[in-house]
Amino acid sequence: MSDYRALIQELEAVCSNPAAAVAEEMKRSGRRAIGCVPAYTPDEIIYAAGILPVGLWGGQTDIKLADSLLQNFCCSLIRADLEYGMKGTYQMLTAVVIPNFCDSLKALCKNWPYGDTGIPVLGIAYPQNRIPAAFQYLISEFQFFQERLEKLTGTKVTDEALEGSFGIYEEYRKTCREFVKMVADYPVTLNAKTRHHILKAAYFMDKKIYTEKLRGIIEGLKAQPKEEMEQFKVVLSGILVDAEAYLDILVNNHITVVADDLAQESRQFRTPARAEGTALEKMAQRYMDQRGCSLIYEPEKSRGQMLINMAKDNDADGVIAAQMKFCEAEEYDYPIYRKELQKAGVKLLYVEADQQIEAAGQLENRIQTFVEINR
Amino acid sequence: MFLGIDIGSSSSKAVLLDEEKRVLAEEALNLGTGSNGISQVLEQVYSKTGRTPKDILYSVVTGYGRNVYKGADAQVTEISCHAKGVTHLFGEARTVIDIGGQDAKVIRLDGEGNVADFVMNDKCAAGTGRFLEVMARVLNCDIYRLSDLAAKSLRGTQISSVCTVFAEAEVISQLSLGSKVEDVAKGALQSVAKRVCGQARRIQVAPQVVMTGGVALIPEAVHMVEKELGEEIAVPGSPQTVGALGAALFAWEKYHR
Repeated sequence: MSDYRALIQELEAVCSNPAAAVAEEMKRSGRRAIGCVPAYTPDEIIYAAGILPVGLWGGQTDIKLADSLLQNFCCSLIRADLEYGMKGTYQMLTAVVIPNFCDSLKALCKNWPYGDTGIPVLGIAYPQNRIPAAFQYLISEFQFFQERLEKLTGTKVTDEALEGSFGIYEEYRKTCREFVKMVADYPVTLNAKTRHHILKAAYFMDKKIYTEKLRGIIEGLKAQPKEEMEQFKVVLSGILVDAEAYLDILVNNHITVVADDLAQESRQFRTPARAEGTALEKMAQRYMDQRGCSLIYEPEKSRGQMLINMAKDNDADGVIAAQMKFCEAEEYDYPIYRKELQKAGVKLLYVEADQQIEAAGQLENRIQTFVEINR
Repeated sequence: MFLGIDIGSSSSKAVLLDEEKRVLAEEALNLGTGSNGISQVLEQVYSKTGRTPKDILYSVVTGYGRNVYKGADAQVTEISCHAKGVTHLFGEARTVIDIGGQDAKVIRLDGEGNVADFVMNDKCAAGTGRFLEVMARVLNCDIYRLSDLAAKSLRGTQISSVCTVFAEAEVISQLSLGSKVEDVAKGALQSVAKRVCGQARRIQVAPQVVMTGGVALIPEAVHMVEKELGEEIAVPGSPQTVGALGAALFAWEKYHR
């Protein structure tokens, strides 16, 4: 039986010091690293080039330098990424990949070179539509990205390497899906904070190594009896919930995250790839199959029903709409799914916050009240 | 005897209840979390009733200072406490507007004293007591005198800035251009009313509407909210201590559970 507690500690340590974890992995494997700005990037291609993809999901930094290039109505995650770039935290990166999912990301891609980060940008434009032409376009965009990556790094990406990389990422995604499903049975060990730390650690590790460790945690926990706890079960929806102060509020109120629809967490792995096609085709199709994400245009607007199903399937007491301040994509989705959730009788709490939380009093008030009135 | 404590951002309140839920003492002091306000208020309610902390069977703390205050048996949010206190005082109440020092909350009640829904302002101070304090400072008067000044005004000055800091600069500029102090006072109260009513409409206001918190002590502020909302508003005798009353009622319930 794996020592799942030691593995959890290991992943939590990675999460608490990402720079050290990335540096250590670069040293261990002799690989370079490339930063991947949210929400979706072709990490499989980077991995196949023998480079470590690193997730750049902002952080708890004081934003000063980035204000010279981005207005403060850009979301705090994007501003934090630029801040880290400008103050040298990302110096170990060979490049950053910036996709185009919102206006602020487009501005980040355009303005990054003016921030004197010394780190080149690889922009990538994902299609908004799901029509066949968009699928073909995305494959060509992936190929174009691959060519630029090869040119920048001087490394050739073979089809074989790409197939292998895709398999590693699919296994990672499958294991994550299995992990998040078992949280409700182990609410003490996998409290909201630990659950998040475990999932976030993946961004700073080799996915093959990470998946092995996550598998060890799953197997280790499965051998344990299920944990009993008086808990308030929620589904989290939004971009991310990663500030320690935010997570502490969830833990202090005995809130278990039984499922999530966060861009930083389940949106990365909830959609399995189809079996047929080349690696690039499967990557493109997986993106085409992604549903319920505010960052991808979807005429059917399936997010509301998806959240209702998630709440019911996981016996959740409610849904927390964790709104990232100034995230337009999320703001526009909210009135639509709010109406659907209200109609279905699913309790919903809307909380808006920057990624960097200085004073958590009001946030705590909202969340604690939500628990008090719906317990 | 049951004790309810409300440690807010700018004031501390305490209420003592007897076994029959009758108020034995209620006190409020304009010293909030981080000060010794709560010690002073507790001293006042004890000296008023001739009781000591040993007589307390159960106590509940609420307000922003609830997590740091270690002397209570339990803690409950002020949203739940205001709902509880208002329902005790006004059985028919369906909406609570609580404007305190640093935030404004609108609470919809389900008819049985439970919170059905609520909205709060974000961390910006617009629409809160703090906004009025800043305006009062600019006008060189006490916050409660804003009411008298506003009552003399025929037409309130439009304050277009939502941000308190910008609004302060805007008001200074208007005064220098010759705006009357009375008109600015009315404009400030109108600004708070508009902001809070905008919030209130997000959760469907239903009568009876009750206003609590320190701002409910300013008659013209209540009047402006009434006008903006198109609903008559009831104000408790001691609007500042309604949260502490709710906390004391929770203490009673928790003790008897």
